[in-house]
Amino acid sequence: MTQSTATAAPLKAKRSNPRQMGTAIGYAVLAATLVALVLFLVLPVSTILYKAFRAQGHFSLDYFRLLFANDLQTTAIYNSLLIGVAATLLCTVLSLPLAVINARYEFPGKKLLTGLLLTPMVMPPFVGAIGFQRFFARRGSVNLLLLKLGLIDSPIEWLEGGRVFWAVVALEVLHLYPIVYLNLTAALANIDPSLEEMATTLGVPRWRQFKDIVWPLARSGYFAGAIIVFIWALTDLGTPLLVGFQETMPVRIFNMITDVNENPVGYALVCLVILITFAVYLLAKTSTRGKSYDMMSRGHVSSAVKKISAVSAAPFYLLLVATIAAALLPHISVLITSLSSKWFMTVLPEQYTLDYYKQILHTDLPLIGIKNSLLFSGSSMLIDLLLGAMIAYVVVRKLIPFAGLLDALTMVPLALPGIVLAFGYVTTYTNTILDPFTNPTALLIIAYAVRRLPYMVRSAAAGLAQTSIALEEAAATFGASRFYTLRTITVPLVSANLIAGCLLCFAYAMLDVSDSLILAMKDRYYPLTKAIYALFLEQGSGEFVASALGVVGMALLTVCILGASLMLGKKMGELFRSG
Amino acid sequence: MEVTFDHVSKKYGDVLAVEDLNLKIAEGSLHFLLGPSGCGKTTTLRLLAGLESTTSGRILFGGKDVTSLPAAERGIGMVFQNYALWPHMTVAKNIDYGLGLKRLSRVQREQRLQEALELTQLTRLADRLPGQLSGGQQQRVALARALAIRPTVLLLDEPLSNLDAQLRLEMRDNISRIHRQTKITTVYVTHDQKEALSMGTEVSVLRAGRLIQSAPPRQLYHHPETPFIARFIGETNLVHATYRGDDDGHHLFECGFGHLLTKRPKQVLSPGQAVTLSFRPETISVQVDGAARPSVNPLRLVLEHLTYLGESEQLALRTSDQQILRANIFNPPEHDLQEGTVVVCNVDPEHILVLPVEHDLSSGT
Repeated sequence: MTQSTATAAPLKAKRSNPRQMGTAIGYAVLAATLVALVLFLVLPVSTILYKAFRAQGHFSLDYFRLLFANDLQTTAIYNSLLIGVAATLLCTVLSLPLAVINARYEFPGKKLLTGLLLTPMVMPPFVGAIGFQRFFARRGSVNLLLLKLGLIDSPIEWLEGGRVFWAVVALEVLHLYPIVYLNLTAALANIDPSLEEMATTLGVPRWRQFKDIVWPLARSGYFAGAIIVFIWALTDLGTPLLVGFQETMPVRIFNMITDVNENPVGYALVCLVILITFAVYLLAKTSTRGKSYDMMSRGHVSSAVKKISAVSAAPFYLLLVATIAAALLPHISVLITSLSSKWFMTVLPEQYTLDYYKQILHTDLPLIGIKNSLLFSGSSMLIDLLLGAMIAYVVVRKLIPFAGLLDALTMVPLALPGIVLAFGYVTTYTNTILDPFTNPTALLIIAYAVRRLPYMVRSAAAGLAQTSIALEEAAATFGASRFYTLRTITVPLVSANLIAGCLLCFAYAMLDVSDSLILAMKDRYYPLTKAIYALFLEQGSGEFVASALGVVGMALLTVCILGASLMLGKKMGELFRSG
Repeated sequence: MEVTFDHVSKKYGDVLAVEDLNLKIAEGSLHFLLGPSGCGKTTTLRLLAGLESTTSGRILFGGKDVTSLPAAERGIGMVFQNYALWPHMTVAKNIDYGLGLKRLSRVQREQRLQEALELTQLTRLADRLPGQLSGGQQQRVALARALAIRPTVLLLDEPLSNLDAQLRLEMRDNISRIHRQTKITTVYVTHDQKEALSMGTEVSVLRAGRLIQSAPPRQLYHHPETPFIARFIGETNLVHATYRGDDDGHHLFECGFGHLLTKRPKQVLSPGQAVTLSFRPETISVQVDGAARPSVNPLRLVLEHLTYLGESEQLALRTSDQQILRANIFNPPEHDLQEGTVVVCNVDPEHILVLPVEHDLSSGT
């Protein structure tokens, strides 16, 4: 590397040394990232911590005392933790066989089915909850169907009492299992099949092979996904809010936001979420420390994938189709709701209509929501593209010492729950130029950008890592400057990854729930998701228009994600890892 | 343990990976399965190991049919091409893991572990993780792990292919030594003919799923049964020729650049029959001093190219019908042979092999 720059130097003596130039770029990007992260990550979080531990001008644990003295709050904390644990466990149970099937077997239609398995990830559980609720209402389709079949005598209250807890868990699991599934599949596929074959020749039973060999090697991959699932389920605001499960931490926080200055217990609650998140990451990191092993594959690796016929794959089809159907059920129910015209006391609507879609175009709120979301998401995507691509370049090409630190820094937002960040923005930037109560546009764009930055960095880094530095050096030997090389060689080569990153950032910003719900306080600044929520709360046809708007959002998201996965291929799974 | 393949075939879908294999592997031998990639040698080994099931035929271990026996009950020890070391277990744990499944006392287990470590000179490295070892050390761990369970048959799948040239030579000696010490029947898969020739007690050459010839190294080199083997084991000149009959105790063959006389071959030939003649580069003698000597097969060839290698010289010689023959001169005397000039050569009839015609001579090497 140094050789090539040395030979290039005499050719263009006047031009500054490319190596120094690279270092300069490196530090500039580092500085920009640091400023952005300090202002919009560190500051909000530390403000919360500061306020949570400070009463009457000095350090105090009063708010925590108040928090834990309140039964309503402790129940909410307990419920949320339980949702997190239950969702993670169920995701694991569901994903393990799916991952084994994907990593170890080849059968007709596998590509399509395993692809469809990922669809719930791109469907916001928040929207699915609307349809889910209709299906499981007292006079909803499920009860009516069961009554009709004579399986029950009186309707079951699915969404009352303890059952609402399981409704939330079910929705979380159906939304989040792909994250565990993707990570497990990658971990399993990474294990050289000869490691198990060797054990087979020694007579090690299958279950012991799994326990002694497969699991230790797949563990860190599994944890990387499981942590994200736990944190997401723990801090998801949209689902419990729409299903009407008030006794959860995120909903409590959401309700406290408007009067946080009168009731500082909110700080303590958010602080608790931060502590739990931090603790879980720490726990996972220590339990997998030094436990990540490079597979020492050398030369020829025999394929682990076993080809089986469609007939012998029958149980696999059953499991895959059942999972996909269950995962899509909430979304199908949203679709049906949005199309239904007469739907009263029947399993499925008696008549269908496109009226609610027409209403979207003729009502203010949905149009404002779509317009705002396009603007906010688009802007945040551009910020991510610029910053993320630069960060990835600096990190992958190691332009500065401690490039790994920069990488770690940009991954922090992935770990930080959206609800914490939004809450922090409100407390930090109220009564400043960015005050969300007057105009949340800037903060919403920033919140979207900060939280999706990791996707962009990962996506761009994946592309850059595959693009040999020799290609850039070759250009440098002809006297091309670093910027010229970037523009003509590097960017074109990683464009697919950049576009994929953009699509992901855009799509996830479009359907962001916690930031949107918390930061947008006035009608005219409502993004799509808050508009859906507001419509859902409206009497009359609100629920139906909300469903229609939800379907529009899902369609948008699907197109973006499909595009991204086409461009990223198998690399897609790497975006949803915590470590 | 004597190993027998009895009409064994293996099909993957429509692809025949191993076709009607009949082979006896003698007890205590170091038997090589040699062939170019894709010839079915690794599949054959995996059939032996029980990692693949046969499509038809039987596999016998010392007279006992093991065809349907699972891998664990065959008493084999296997070394995989990529070693397949468990990266999360230390060297000792890797070796001990298999022992833990045998009915052994704690003392026996420890003893077997130490034995295996000593045999492969790994005692010092027992507490390391595989990731902390060099390629050669990893290879030895794989060997120790396979040996520790005291297999009746040891299976090695290209064990040296991931090592650099120097280490490969060392490990050849190592494996030969261990084989001499343990006398375990060993089946060794490789595509490297030098490995097979230098180490094997017997070598089976496979091509496209079929066994072509099975013989001790010397016999394989000096008496290959097909042109493919002649080319695959060492270097040779292959010449299409037609049998023209007897001439003064020799067989007379007509080829594109004249006539060649050979010693009487084993097989019975009829005049007009097409054959392939094979003679090694070192069997062509080149007259460097220009003095005419009587010879049986004098050839006037154009010296196309000469490569000087110190202890030897390699010559590329062009025949009148534009074929290139290769000749090696060992300990070459001083001479002034010029490229582009005609040189007089001689091929000793003793060393010309008469082989059947093989279709598609160019492929499979």
